[in-house]
Amino acid sequence: MKMHMRKHPRRYLFRLTFVLAALAFTNIASAHMLNMTHIEVQTQEIEPTKITLRIDLGQSLMSADEYWTLANAPSAEQAMLMRNVKEQLDAGLRFEVDGTTASPTLQSWDFPAVSLAAIENPLTPQMATLTYHLSAIPRDSIGVSLADDFAVPWPCLVRLDIAGRELPVSRLLTSYDRNSGSVALHGATTGEDVDIGALMVSASQDWLPSLSWVVIGFQHIIPRGLDHIAFVLGLFFLSTGLRPLLLQVTGFTIAHSLTLGLAMYGFVSVPAAIVEPLIAASIVYVALDNLYASHLAPFRMLVVCAFGLLHGLGFAAVLQEIHMPQESFAQALLLFNVGVELGQIAVIAGAFALVGAFRSRSWYSSGIAHPATMGIAGVGAYWLLKRTIF
Amino acid sequence: MTPEPTKQWKSLLGIAAITATLFGMETATSMVVPDDLVFDVNSRVEGVFPETWIHGSKSAMDNTDPAVQVHRYNAHTYILRENKAINYEGAFMYLFFGNQKALLIDQGSTSSPALFPLRDVVDGIITAWEKAHQRTNTQLIVANSHLHGDHYAAWNQFVDRPDTLMVGLTHEEVMAYWGFDDYPEQRVTYDLGGRQFIVTGTPGHQSSEIALYDTWTDLLYTGDMLYRGRLYLEDWQAWKASIKRLRDMADDYPVAHLVNNHIEMTATPTIDYPIGTTWQPDEPPMQMTLDMLNTAVSASTEIERPGIYKYDHFLIYNEVPWAYTTDP
Repeated sequence: MKMHMRKHPRRYLFRLTFVLAALAFTNIASAHMLNMTHIEVQTQEIEPTKITLRIDLGQSLMSADEYWTLANAPSAEQAMLMRNVKEQLDAGLRFEVDGTTASPTLQSWDFPAVSLAAIENPLTPQMATLTYHLSAIPRDSIGVSLADDFAVPWPCLVRLDIAGRELPVSRLLTSYDRNSGSVALHGATTGEDVDIGALMVSASQDWLPSLSWVVIGFQHIIPRGLDHIAFVLGLFFLSTGLRPLLLQVTGFTIAHSLTLGLAMYGFVSVPAAIVEPLIAASIVYVALDNLYASHLAPFRMLVVCAFGLLHGLGFAAVLQEIHMPQESFAQALLLFNVGVELGQIAVIAGAFALVGAFRSRSWYSSGIAHPATMGIAGVGAYWLLKRTIF
Repeated sequence: MTPEPTKQWKSLLGIAAITATLFGMETATSMVVPDDLVFDVNSRVEGVFPETWIHGSKSAMDNTDPAVQVHRYNAHTYILRENKAINYEGAFMYLFFGNQKALLIDQGSTSSPALFPLRDVVDGIITAWEKAHQRTNTQLIVANSHLHGDHYAAWNQFVDRPDTLMVGLTHEEVMAYWGFDDYPEQRVTYDLGGRQFIVTGTPGHQSSEIALYDTWTDLLYTGDMLYRGRLYLEDWQAWKASIKRLRDMADDYPVAHLVNNHIEMTATPTIDYPIGTTWQPDEPPMQMTLDMLNTAVSASTEIERPGIYKYDHFLIYNEVPWAYTTDP
């Protein structure tokens, strides 16, 4: 064995890890998950939010003997016997109402137990039920999380019944994901017009870590935003100097951020049938301007900004299909925009890496910039025709 | 300096040529892009099951099997099994493909992405399938046969996945997604991108359970309410009615195989592996036959009291605590 370990130490390390992990999971495996934890949150318009916790206490926060004693004690004594468990629950269960931490108040409890043997056997879970009230009435959002050092029989299913909503919202907490995220109370969730698909996507995106929006924004340039890439490259091949290029890209960025924000907040709405051909036309224009203008005209900056406004509307059309989370709309929009900018920077950086070294050469214009710009114009014309005629 | 007129015309001609080339390429590409996949309701498309499934090992230390076994039943149907050495449930999961959509039924018994990287495995299958069939942007629907934790433990691995729809883990969300107005009696037709499924309610083991009949493969998926193992029934009357609904379904549609979620029986009739077994070297096949369904139908009319009842290919635990076993 020792020799094998020397020969294949990584393999044995893997196996050891596997065994340790399997041991760590023994409790779950033997429990068949019959005793998994449930948290039900029921918000109401005026009354306090009701929280019901169902947990196998005899298999988690106290010993089976302790739970058996607790279950058989007169109700007057139970409050004292459960003091330690109550402290653990108070520290471990966390609620967030409208972005602020809220402390629940224990209202009632029920500790069923048919026998000590049943408590000891996770296949016959004796689930305690504890009912709490949250005095803070949520208006916008609510979230549930479990402290890092708080161990319950996993997984923990969270069910949120929100006043005025037809469907509940489900979340799953595990020892790896202990936070439900912030669940918005409002949205198009009642009545016959409910788009279940959109609702589900929106609900799932409540879980998206914020940085995901940066990634989504980046992906809307690379690889999905071919027309935006073409436009940015158009700017790149005209400007021989870094300063005019940065000025144009900055103007373009500010402009498209403006219309993206206005469109997402509903202040501006232009049909895609108009925006998309104009975006293609903007690519053709920039490319032709590169080919035929003898110098960088002063109004070029204004034209680029105007095209930026157009491209912002294009981004908005795509983003509106994604169903951004209501409770963190501004944050997600900002991060999406950051991703778009990073994508644009990556395009310019990539172009520099490829041809930047040759920009001062005499043949750069005729050998690289001119053919590349013709290519951009050709692609732009193709999109323009596709989006208008074909 | 403005270019000479001749050069200007040359540039314009060059641009026109590029545009024309792109149109030409698009035309050529459109000729080779495959049409929508056709899932014919009227002819059965066969698949294959493995001779044996990966079935754990004597000790976890010796287990070098993948955390998730991937079996390609046919071109658009995959059956996955959780490694029994990781979790004794050894749960089966199903991935069905249609045009632009894929349906994942169940997410196993282990939450840890490190131990049980179900998301990575499913992503890999979808990527390979898209490549093989020249598709992109397949939407994944994450659904469940029923709402027991040993079938959705890895659900969280999918919540931040792009192009993904999470059905949800409450009864109401499940009913709304499948479109049930009259659960469990109702039959709902579910369209997975041209692939038609008939979905019906099968409570008894758990009160939100569904069964799916795939009209393309003729597979009848029965989840946890009928499989080769211990059928834990929390509501006998509901299960009795559900078994009859399955039988009615099999009368109305041709069934190739019944497929499901676990194997707990040995190959020896009436003998099951003890609860918690992580090595099952003598497993029977997972798929079941209509004869076995008939046996279950007969059992549903014979059994009148709570208790454990042994049949060749399954055991019925009728409203008894799960801790009671037939283990020696």
